[in-house]
Amino acid sequence: MRHVLALAALSLGLASAQAAAPGAPGVLTIRFLDVGQGDAVLITSPEGKSVLYDGGRSEPRLQALLNLYGVQSLDLVAASHADSDHITGLIPGVRLFKPKYFLNNGIAGTTQTWNRLVTAAQQAGTQGLVAKDQTINLGSVKLTVLAPPSGMPKNEQNPNSVGLLVQFGKFRALMTGDSETAETAAWLRKYPAATLGPIDVYKSIHHGARNGDNAAWLAAVRPRNVIISVGPNNYGHPTAEALALYKRVGATVYRTDREGTVTVVVQPSGQFAITTAHGPAVPTNPPASRPAPAAAAPRPATPAAIPPTPAPASSVYYANCAAVRAAGAAPLLRGQPGYRPGLDRDGDGRACE
Amino acid sequence: MTPDTPEPDLAGTLTVDAIEGRYARVEREDGSTEDWSLASLPCGVQEGDVIRLTVIDGDLDIEIDHAETQRRRASAQAQLDALNQAAPSGELDL
Repeated sequence: MRHVLALAALSLGLASAQAAAPGAPGVLTIRFLDVGQGDAVLITSPEGKSVLYDGGRSEPRLQALLNLYGVQSLDLVAASHADSDHITGLIPGVRLFKPKYFLNNGIAGTTQTWNRLVTAAQQAGTQGLVAKDQTINLGSVKLTVLAPPSGMPKNEQNPNSVGLLVQFGKFRALMTGDSETAETAAWLRKYPAATLGPIDVYKSIHHGARNGDNAAWLAAVRPRNVIISVGPNNYGHPTAEALALYKRVGATVYRTDREGTVTVVVQPSGQFAITTAHGPAVPTNPPASRPAPAAAAPRPATPAAIPPTPAPASSVYYANCAAVRAAGAAPLLRGQPGYRPGLDRDGDGRACE
Repeated sequence: MTPDTPEPDLAGTLTVDAIEGRYARVEREDGSTEDWSLASLPCGVQEGDVIRLTVIDGDLDIEIDHAETQRRRASAQAQLDALNQAAPSGELDL
């Protein structure tokens, strides 16, 4: 019942945003969704084909975001690995849109959440696709699957994360789940440097955890913009070490806990713009004068920024804290979608704590 | 109820969803997740383990249920393998 109320409240609040939200035709749109502590990336090709790479930790929250951004179909869902903060939101994605494929690392989880996801895929007629070196064409967008290398611990999910390299014209984006150093080191041995970098838009590994991104990996990836998908957590994400690494390679950093959903719109020419749902304005691209990382090879010219489109105003509305909790959004921080003083009784900027 | 008495809903099982530094994120039987200190769980606990909580005479006993862990791993893996079985190879067009 709580979920029904939450969804009703969310759908009322989101109705006005739906009409204006879908990505424009002819461009690639990548949205790093604000799902709190977790990962969820929505990729829509110029032809209207869509992929959901991870789904965050809340079914109603992900469903509300799919509504908000006007998603009409999903062709593929991908679980980087089986952790609940990556797969829970895939369940409504599968149930609602019956995607053709479910990309996974081939290692089953033991949780009920995992069981519900695989059962939903069975019922939807979705074909499982264990990650291997494979190219998936999303219309004019090329997805290269980075499969977990051999030799990773069999019962550990993080180092068996599935990576996805997104290419559209000259633009490249990279996502690698919660990979750990053993996996990125193996990828460094396996792939030529030109395959891995430079990357225009890069999803921070493991929400900026200490055991994810590392100097050797980032020297190859050479990310220009880093998006950290993170929310309130007990784990210290993102760590000061990860933030220092991103600063050292000269990347512009975006955080979903501060800026909300981060949207990248890419033109066929490779030009791209980055906008955020809220928060302080941030530059679209690193300044041209920034120093190149020490190990960086000569790189093509940075795509020129196009004027960013206005960020959509937050129209998420929670009737009460029960709705916030049912959506998996508690505690709501000041500035996040749905926050309002009426829910923050002590006025400390954390509602429904 | 005194503060020392374990709450009744502590009895049952937890499933270790992930280990994050000093914490284990565990899934309760109702599907919700919580962060538990690793120090409060049995030594050597690993991701995927099923933890059994039993309250006996007011004392909470916590142990890894290795048999249930194995059963779930095997069952879930068989289900996933079946789902992946007919996967096409080569380049895919969506």
